[in-house]
Amino acid sequence: MSTSAADTVEQLMGRIALRDHRAFKVLFDQTAGRLLAVASRVLQDRTQAEDVVQDVFVKLWNQGAQRTPTPPCTLAWLCVVTRNMAIDHLRMKRPETPLQWVDADGDEHLHDVADDAQHSPMEQLLAHEDGARLGSCLGRLEPEPRQAVLFAFYEGLSHIQIAQRMCKPLGTVKAWTRRSLLRLKGCMEACA
Amino acid sequence: MNWYQHPETADRLAAAYMLGTLQGPARRRFEGLLPQKRLLRLAVDDWTQRLTPLLTALAPVQPSRALWKAVAKRTAGQDGVNGEPLWRRFFSAIPAGALAIGVLVGVMAPALWNTQLSEGSDAQLPASYVGVLGTADGKPGLIVSSLRHGRSVDIKQIAPMVVPQGMRLYLWRIDAIGKTSPLGPLPTGKWVQMSLSEPAEKIFSQAVELAVSVESADETPQAPRLPFVYRGLCGKLWK
Repeated sequence: MSTSAADTVEQLMGRIALRDHRAFKVLFDQTAGRLLAVASRVLQDRTQAEDVVQDVFVKLWNQGAQRTPTPPCTLAWLCVVTRNMAIDHLRMKRPETPLQWVDADGDEHLHDVADDAQHSPMEQLLAHEDGARLGSCLGRLEPEPRQAVLFAFYEGLSHIQIAQRMCKPLGTVKAWTRRSLLRLKGCMEACA
Repeated sequence: MNWYQHPETADRLAAAYMLGTLQGPARRRFEGLLPQKRLLRLAVDDWTQRLTPLLTALAPVQPSRALWKAVAKRTAGQDGVNGEPLWRRFFSAIPAGALAIGVLVGVMAPALWNTQLSEGSDAQLPASYVGVLGTADGKPGLIVSSLRHGRSVDIKQIAPMVVPQGMRLYLWRIDAIGKTSPLGPLPTGKWVQMSLSEPAEKIFSQAVELAVSVESADETPQAPRLPFVYRGLCGKLWK
């Protein structure tokens, strides 16, 4: 993500705080596609993802005047807000989302963050200029700890839920995520 | 030393917060401290930068046309422009008081003129830039003036603003296309002077409006992060 794009979001948010609906439409045009990608990634459902993005924009408009100065409103932060709202939505709907299911053809499926998209997050990261460093560092993690990190990040699973999902002891999952984050930080700083 | 003053602890919690594994009361406590603790904010910013490529690298998905319609419908009538007449849309970026302030310029300018004349010059008013800024409820709030080639700005607060601790007032220039540019923090006081980094001519010649927002005292914003508390027209006071 370029700095100029981040600045543009901040500039637009400043105008939106003044109830400038034209700036609001510009922000929508510039960011809705990316936010929809985030929500779709989390929810795996286009209709629900559009509902979440709709809520994100309505919230942005409504809180414009009351928004606190931190954190700064950048595209990255809008993506985080969208992810969090999508995760909240997912938590409400989770009982309806089976981890395993059999389709009409009798094929068995398993919900899996790393493999359930046409292009996995890793592939998209490595292909994206800004994400290549993170993609490379994630690639250096062991497969299971990496999957635990992705479960937490994309689905908002707690340590306990990850442990259940992966059939691993809770302590193991906690250690995985803690060490993985430390390794990611060290790796990304070394690559900087 | 409190835990939030310890860099390693702040970093570890910020990582868990961004990853999503910091949950429940711990998360709420962490979020409550974020606005106050710069160390935590910096740690969260760092982890935001590290992890958000997982989100921003995703290929954009084209929204349906119905999505914007739904958003516009839900935000219509909340000070927005949807369904409003054209004349009102034209002024949509201008706060309610701005029109009144425009009229006020005509009232205040002669007063300023007289003030300056009475201070010694018996010839002509020195060429100056003058901004008369209103509060959000349309009342006169701030007068800003600078000699055309001066390197400082005189600012008089007509309606003083209570600024929360850790925050400060920040002056912005708004050009004809609505772009905001930072001019700097305002000193505290009812009648203050602010130094300019460049001659006033260079700074204010493109200004259509001036505005003031409340910003965090330990940051130098490049764009306003909070709504303007004063805003109004800026004009050249010479022939």
